[in-house]
Amino acid sequence: MSTWQKLLNWFDERLGLTTIYSTVLDRKVPKVNWWFTLGSASMILFLLQGVTGVMLTVYYVPSPDHAYDSINYIMNEVAFGWLIRGIHHWGASLMVLVVFAHMLRTFYFGAFKYPRELTWITGVFLLLCTVGMGFTGYLLPWNQRAFWATTVGTSIAGAVPFVGEFINEVLRGGTDLSALTLARFFSVHIWWLPAAIIALIGVHMYMIIRLGISSVPTKED
Amino acid sequence: MNAEQKQQYKEKYANAKQHGVKFWPDIIYKDLLISFAIFILLVGLATFLGVASEPKADPSDSSYIPRPEWYFLFLFKFLAIYGQIPWLGKIEWLAATVVPAVGVLALFLVPFIDRSPFRHFSKRGAALAFMTVLVVTMVGLTLIANVPTTELSALQFISGLVLPALGMAAALLIPLFIKKDTNRALAWMTGVTSALILGLAVAVLVLSPPAAAAEEAQVAATLPEQILAGQDLYSVHCVECHGAEGEGGEIKGVEGLEGVILDPINARDVMYTFTDETLYNIIAYGQPDLGMTPFGLAYGGTLGPGEMENMVTFMRYTWDDRAELPAEVTAASAMPTLAESETPSYEVHIQPIIKRYCISCHREGKTNNNYIMDTYENVINGGDNAPNLIAGDLTCNTIRMLNREDLGDIGSAMPPTKALKAELVDVWVRWVLAGMPETAEDAAAAPSIAP
Amino acid sequence: MSQTPHMGRREFVQLVTGFVGAVMGAVIGLPAIGYLISPATKRRQSEAWIPLGPLENYPVGVPTLFNFTRSKVNGWEKTVNSYGVFVVRHPDDSVTVLSNVCTHLACRVNWVPENQWFLCPCHDAQFGLDGQVLGGPPPRPLDSYTQDAVKIEDGNLFIFFKEA
Repeated sequence: MSTWQKLLNWFDERLGLTTIYSTVLDRKVPKVNWWFTLGSASMILFLLQGVTGVMLTVYYVPSPDHAYDSINYIMNEVAFGWLIRGIHHWGASLMVLVVFAHMLRTFYFGAFKYPRELTWITGVFLLLCTVGMGFTGYLLPWNQRAFWATTVGTSIAGAVPFVGEFINEVLRGGTDLSALTLARFFSVHIWWLPAAIIALIGVHMYMIIRLGISSVPTKED
Repeated sequence: MNAEQKQQYKEKYANAKQHGVKFWPDIIYKDLLISFAIFILLVGLATFLGVASEPKADPSDSSYIPRPEWYFLFLFKFLAIYGQIPWLGKIEWLAATVVPAVGVLALFLVPFIDRSPFRHFSKRGAALAFMTVLVVTMVGLTLIANVPTTELSALQFISGLVLPALGMAAALLIPLFIKKDTNRALAWMTGVTSALILGLAVAVLVLSPPAAAAEEAQVAATLPEQILAGQDLYSVHCVECHGAEGEGGEIKGVEGLEGVILDPINARDVMYTFTDETLYNIIAYGQPDLGMTPFGLAYGGTLGPGEMENMVTFMRYTWDDRAELPAEVTAASAMPTLAESETPSYEVHIQPIIKRYCISCHREGKTNNNYIMDTYENVINGGDNAPNLIAGDLTCNTIRMLNREDLGDIGSAMPPTKALKAELVDVWVRWVLAGMPETAEDAAAAPSIAP
Repeated sequence: MSQTPHMGRREFVQLVTGFVGAVMGAVIGLPAIGYLISPATKRRQSEAWIPLGPLENYPVGVPTLFNFTRSKVNGWEKTVNSYGVFVVRHPDDSVTVLSNVCTHLACRVNWVPENQWFLCPCHDAQFGLDGQVLGGPPPRPLDSYTQDAVKIEDGNLFIFFKEA
């Protein structure tokens, strides 16, 4: 037995790597087409957003005094800042698009039906979280576009009968957009929603592995 | 689905699996290629399109037209078109909250709404037709989102609300009433409705007068850019009272402030004791009791926060001797120099001088003898006392005034508070002697004039 | 089983996975390093002649502290830093200008007239009138301004301040 294999065995005994390999990777699945890559594409995009997002927080300061200047600094002074922010910016749009397309694929292929109803429901949660990431992330650059779009966006909540004004103030952390709004949007954007998304992806993936990916429906289905 | 159907499905699925492939490597391989393509696309977008720069948030600027992120545009537009419905349109919360809430709820409940055990598209016509019309509607609304609802409002109303409603209703009703060839009817209905929705949306897009191209606000990003932008603003708004170098002195030619003596603002007393915020606030609010008008949008002026911050940055780096002016700025803001035998031209030499020393009083909105120094022609022949400059004539008004002569009604020595530096006056003299060439090419062609 | 074509395909996918992973890792990872260390690699140079006032203000042979400030941009924020120098005027009107920053751990030293030395309050380092180390932990004498970094114009003293 080579040293390499010994080392592998040592870890396998403790981590159960071969069990993970046989249940997660080495499993039989139906033959599917290219539309079935949208789910993993969504996940790759989430990972990319996570990596670039963590990098952005190295310089970004979530306060009305500094948010704009710090992003300006990232874009113009920091080496490759334009690349990191560029990927994060475009990745956000692409992720919404890909997650939505993934949802449509699931719908058109009837993949949400028995026994995958719960996978669909976690998927809808994931779609909402993705849109929520888009909404909260939009404010963070604290530029004109961000400020006014969020002003209008949160005002929509104000249209809810009776409690609208209250919801609006909870969203904004007060009657106006302020440092409080920026801080809570930032918090939701980097802690709450990512945590929810990670948990939901976990459940989503568990069910996909447990139930197997759906097959392309045939005429008899 | 009853127990038997469940069992049937399980068997079929097990069979499909049997004839299937391994997750690793077959499925992973496809996933990998798509992921890689997406990654390349993102790096490409970041590199070649980048992220457009936007001015800093300005809560006082109520003229800004908000635009949500593109994936919310369909909702945004739906709200706008919904508001056009007589009577019902006034009940905003229906569209703003009930409709989206129902939509989201329906999305969650899809597995319990579409309960048929069938998966193949030929057996799910109604569901697919409904979803297709819905998605096409979202695309259509997104397309026309930037067209004001008042333009071609009937077409927008039909494309964004009537057709979608009819289409979705039809998707649900056709299976109930057409028993033969249901799928064909559904397909036709979906195709026609989608084509109409998109066709009308494109028509609205093409036929509506193009919105005045929003002026791409140039945002000064780097420090040198900010300082230079601030300098230009200072030249326009501040020089008439505070002087080209912030030296202050007696104000001349400014309505209401004639003869007021200003302290210099370029001195240490100001620069060491006033923070950036103080300077900013003074520009924004002015000091009305002392005669300084507000410049900030929030107090009735015309300048946004970004612009005022640039002005402060300019003042700080130019006058505060603890800060160093970046070398790029020194180079870019220097007046163009004139070589011994070079002939000056309007574009290269005269315009920068005007921009720094004259424009503050001689611009749109100022009265000073209606002399507005904005173009080549206006500089020479504008205002009440034209011509101001005559080729080859050193006794013309402007040259005499630059040489500190008081011409009474025509005007006093110019600039009023402090003479131009001798070498700058010399540029004017040589320009007049050379026949006042407009461009650098004209100047090169003109006979050279010894200084 | 190891010689079947299927295994070949598996190895091929392994190779592609490795390649794609390496490219993505490199395209993100290498810029990421530059991104993270960026502030340490960029420095705004700062240099200027600082006026220290008339030479007569400085007594002969007694180190006199002069404080001046420079503003600096860190990231996007301006900060005003304060600097101190000890000016020692010699009888022939030449001057020695010493930085007041201890060469050990950057505490500010004080002149102690009784002992005729500079004393660092942190670790009791002592420096002589010309800046050389008299005792304590410092590795080298106090930084001084060289002769071309000091000038006297019309009786006013200037030093050339430079921060790389």
